[in-house]
Amino acid sequence: MEGLIVSNVLLWVLLVAVAFVVMGLVRQIGVLHGRLAPAGALMVDKGVAVNEAAPQVTATDRKGRPVNFGYAGEKSQLLFFLSPTCPICKSLLPAIKSIAREQADRLDVVFISDGDMDAQQALIREHKLEDATYVVGPEVGMTYQIGKLPYAALIDKAGTLRAKGLVNSREHLDSLFEVEHLKHATLQQYLNAQPHSHDHDHSHGHSH
Amino acid sequence: MHSDPIFIIASAIAIAVLLASAATHKVRAPARFARQLADYQLLPDSLVRPVARLVPLLELAIAFALLVPVSRGWAALSAASLLALYAAAIGINLWRGRADIDCGCAGPDQAQPLRPVLLLRNSVLVVLALLASVAPIARDMTVFDGFVTVAAAAVALLIYAAADGLLANSPLLLKLIGR
Repeated sequence: MEGLIVSNVLLWVLLVAVAFVVMGLVRQIGVLHGRLAPAGALMVDKGVAVNEAAPQVTATDRKGRPVNFGYAGEKSQLLFFLSPTCPICKSLLPAIKSIAREQADRLDVVFISDGDMDAQQALIREHKLEDATYVVGPEVGMTYQIGKLPYAALIDKAGTLRAKGLVNSREHLDSLFEVEHLKHATLQQYLNAQPHSHDHDHSHGHSH
Repeated sequence: MHSDPIFIIASAIAIAVLLASAATHKVRAPARFARQLADYQLLPDSLVRPVARLVPLLELAIAFALLVPVSRGWAALSAASLLALYAAAIGINLWRGRADIDCGCAGPDQAQPLRPVLLLRNSVLVVLALLASVAPIARDMTVFDGFVTVAAAAVALLIYAAADGLLANSPLLLKLIGR
């Protein structure tokens, strides 16, 4: 009888634990559903072509220091175009900051915005961007022909534009780096190239 | 009809916790609940606000009454009728073809459209509430009985929460696979 009670208690405890695990799994699936936005950064087809030299432009950041874009340098550059009035831009800032931290040794992240300076200051305070390179002004956006926000562009060490696109999620941002890796202009292009890659002798893949 | 007290008390606890959590969601965001209630289009506009105030209080009262042995019988019956009433509200709107309103079933972060499966969910809850209204067989409850009761109620609630999460996810899943 004693043994039966012990085994019963044990079974109940384990059952409660299993129910917890199941509930946790369901929650995680829910979170994943929330994160699964349409995949792939949408390329707005205008402006500078990917895999060609990025246009060279110099602007001053908000502390008055000159920032060069498109010149050969020691690190790659990630240009993040944002605006204080765009909520999705703000929701992406944590992801941008974590990318900047993770790849600090090979990547410079530049925030580029335009418009009212007070709003910029509020945004910088709110997201602790005091130490970041933050450019306020229309020059860079005009040069790169940015029409939609949030937009990101990746320029490699040699000054070549490697990837660009409208980014709405962390996945879109990551896709830019994936694209750089694959040497394709966009993920869409990469996927379109896949079925033909056998008979086209990898015309623009696998060069590393 | 009589039944073992373990079943009765366990289902009473489960329904009580359920109603109490539903009530706290409604109390925390009264404006949202009033909007959801208005979306159901079952009440004249002048009644929406007072009813939205009253429903959480009613739910809390029933939840407390379920935990007290003296009042358990009628409290379980009122819980069953309340849940049946919710099911009827969902059913009427499904029949009207207004399936795209927010069900308001499971807290703020789980907005979900109305679907027939919600009727099934509510009928399971009604059965559970009716089970709690049955008169218990008179017998001595040991510590072990108490443990089994609490554990059974906890498992029932966790499984309910998981099932509810799956229900809330399923429209998102359908959207994802493109239907």
